[in-house]
Amino acid sequence: MVIVGIPTFGNKGLNDVMNNRFGRCASFTFVAIENNEIVEVRSVANDAQGAMGGAGIQAAQIIGNNGATEVIVGNLGPNASNSLNALNIKIYQAQGGSLTVKELIDLRLSGKLQVLTSSNVGAHAGMGGGMGGGRGGGMGGGRGRQF
Amino acid sequence: MKKIAIISGKGGVGKTSLTASLVSLAQKDPEFNVITLDCDVDAPNLALILPPKSEENVLTHDTFTTKKARFLEEKCVNCKQCYDDHFCEFNALDWDESNNIPIINYLACEGCGACKVLCHENAFEINPVKSGEIISYEIDIGLPLIYGKTKLGSTTSGLLVSEVKQHATKLKEFNDANFILIDGPPGIGCPVIATVSGLDYIVAITEPTPSGLHDVKRAIEMVNQFNIPFGIVINKADLKSASQKQLNKYIEKAGFEILGKINFDLSIPEAMSYAKPVVDYAPESSASQAIKKIYNNLKLVLSTIN
Amino acid sequence: MLKPKIICVTGGKGGTGKTLVAVNLAIMFKNRGYKVLLIDGDVENPNTFLLLNAKLKNKKKVLYFLPKIIEDKCTKCGLCAENCETHALLYIKDSYPIPISTVCSGCKLCYKICPTNAIEPDLKVIGWTYTASAFNIDLFLGELKPAEARSAVIVNKLMENLEKVIKTEPEKYDIVILDTAPGAHCDVEELINGADLVIPVTEPTRFGKLDLLRIVELIDLLKKEHKAIVNRSSLLGYKEKFLKELEEKHIEILGDIPLDEEIVSSYCKGIPLMDERSKFDRDGAGYKSFEKIFENLLKWGDFSK
Repeated sequence: MVIVGIPTFGNKGLNDVMNNRFGRCASFTFVAIENNEIVEVRSVANDAQGAMGGAGIQAAQIIGNNGATEVIVGNLGPNASNSLNALNIKIYQAQGGSLTVKELIDLRLSGKLQVLTSSNVGAHAGMGGGMGGGRGGGMGGGRGRQF
Repeated sequence: MKKIAIISGKGGVGKTSLTASLVSLAQKDPEFNVITLDCDVDAPNLALILPPKSEENVLTHDTFTTKKARFLEEKCVNCKQCYDDHFCEFNALDWDESNNIPIINYLACEGCGACKVLCHENAFEINPVKSGEIISYEIDIGLPLIYGKTKLGSTTSGLLVSEVKQHATKLKEFNDANFILIDGPPGIGCPVIATVSGLDYIVAITEPTPSGLHDVKRAIEMVNQFNIPFGIVINKADLKSASQKQLNKYIEKAGFEILGKINFDLSIPEAMSYAKPVVDYAPESSASQAIKKIYNNLKLVLSTIN
Repeated sequence: MLKPKIICVTGGKGGTGKTLVAVNLAIMFKNRGYKVLLIDGDVENPNTFLLLNAKLKNKKKVLYFLPKIIEDKCTKCGLCAENCETHALLYIKDSYPIPISTVCSGCKLCYKICPTNAIEPDLKVIGWTYTASAFNIDLFLGELKPAEARSAVIVNKLMENLEKVIKTEPEKYDIVILDTAPGAHCDVEELINGADLVIPVTEPTRFGKLDLLRIVELIDLLKKEHKAIVNRSSLLGYKEKFLKELEEKHIEILGDIPLDEEIVSSYCKGIPLMDERSKFDRDGAGYKSFEKIFENLLKWGDFSK
């Protein structure tokens, strides 16, 4: 069985539309697939939606904690992509438009989705944000203590 | 969509001046729908040369990307453990002997949360504080500009840069835009890294002086770590100096792409003093001609990047 | 026993001439018999050694903390990840936490609270510090490793080294000059904070003025005395108007430096303009302006040796 996680807007299940912003979506919809058929659909709220920093990391944790081994996303920042890669979660990217969860799963099952392997995923879709976080948090976090 | 930034390593080499002229040229180019960003959030200057078409439509958005600790005196039992056991790794926790309580050095505090977690009495809390502003407006119809400005002392320059870039994706023009042009900060550290992250191409501007050469080498070293293609612009290219030869040799040996050279031209500081892009202020000047060539080379290079 | 007087040269806007001023102030103090230490706090792009043709010595690594999970000891309880304010530990149920270095602040909280001591320091090189000596001035320099982000860690190390010298050899230096990076973020702030007097360097343009007002705001926030220097003051004949504008904003001026070929020449040759043995024109406008600035500086603070 394969569980696919998709960032979404609410709890409309298969009819929900993919939210292009992975870390800041309102919910995640998880679809369990067995023998190329959908066997379960579940929506989970994204508690990290309003997080000030590290939203991508927290979102990856939600994906992992719900047993997903794959995600289908629009835009993905470096924190999110690094975290998903660290968890060995396969990343598929869907381009453009407002596709529903059902449409995306169909595309996935027919092998029409592109797998993203590079960690610099943001380059193709979003603005590559999430990195470079000033003095505290994010890259460049703090003066730290030297040894 | 192509996203590019202009950086230099060394400050004062001409990033803002060049960005303003490139925006002006892109604006008139039917091929491009451009969004302009100024990511030099500590000292944003691009807005002086590319001001809003109308003051009424300038939007300011506060950011709260900084966190700071706050001491809750009512919960403190004066055990001094926070100070003695060195809860704070950033030297932001001092001890007030006369009142027997900790003092938080607000500016040094990183908001890391260690004191909050380690204090047995929960006498510290962490709160988001205003870190800066993101200002957005239209230079002209359909030509948005966004810049960030840090709140002094809040020091989250890198995070604010990321916010400025994210903000661009929220504009109504974003979906039709195919060219994002970013004026970068000086240096090679956190705010510059935040600027270049995820971009398609970097323009590194330098000058043939010892520090110009030294600093652009470091900027290139940093850009290479992120595997982003780049091209070089040499400003004040005809400046007589020993570094002139060294710079050319360095570029040649490494096989770097030169987008163009701009000879010393008083039109540039003059244009800046009138707060106008030099290609608008003095279109026939040698500087403007050189910048137009750079613009065309840039277009050519960008068309080869997928 | 007198502590050395610490002067910070800064500016906000890049390319105004901070390093030029810092180096020549150091040289002028040296000419008068003061023992001088120059600290190059622009660790992203240190340039002082270029203006002084100085050889860097004594290279020392600057390390910073990242957590390393020792799997043999880790019980996968997730306490570290739960308490990490920046979410720098990626944790899903029943798995080992994974450190995310790009968001780690180095606070060491995870290291401190792990109930089974399963976190150890994974020390990474963020840059280096150096010393140097030229024209009878000592230098401390720092260098950020390209692609590393936290320059403030290295500035912090430089200031620690300064503190050490002041504590163990208080007579070693009479004057310490701090040269900052452009901008106004934490590395610049730390240097301004460590100074007795602050000299922002600006240029007579509206950009110079805008950035000067910003840096002055920061200096005021840190409650430090400041007097500005206007460099390239003869640019476009804007000088008198500019000085008047600064006066209206109640910004005190230490002096101004006009455009001068000799300055560019000294810069490119790596010989400081004001060194007593340099062959630059003593009657040059640049030279004379530096002399005037120095005299004003001596009147400003208490510089008894």
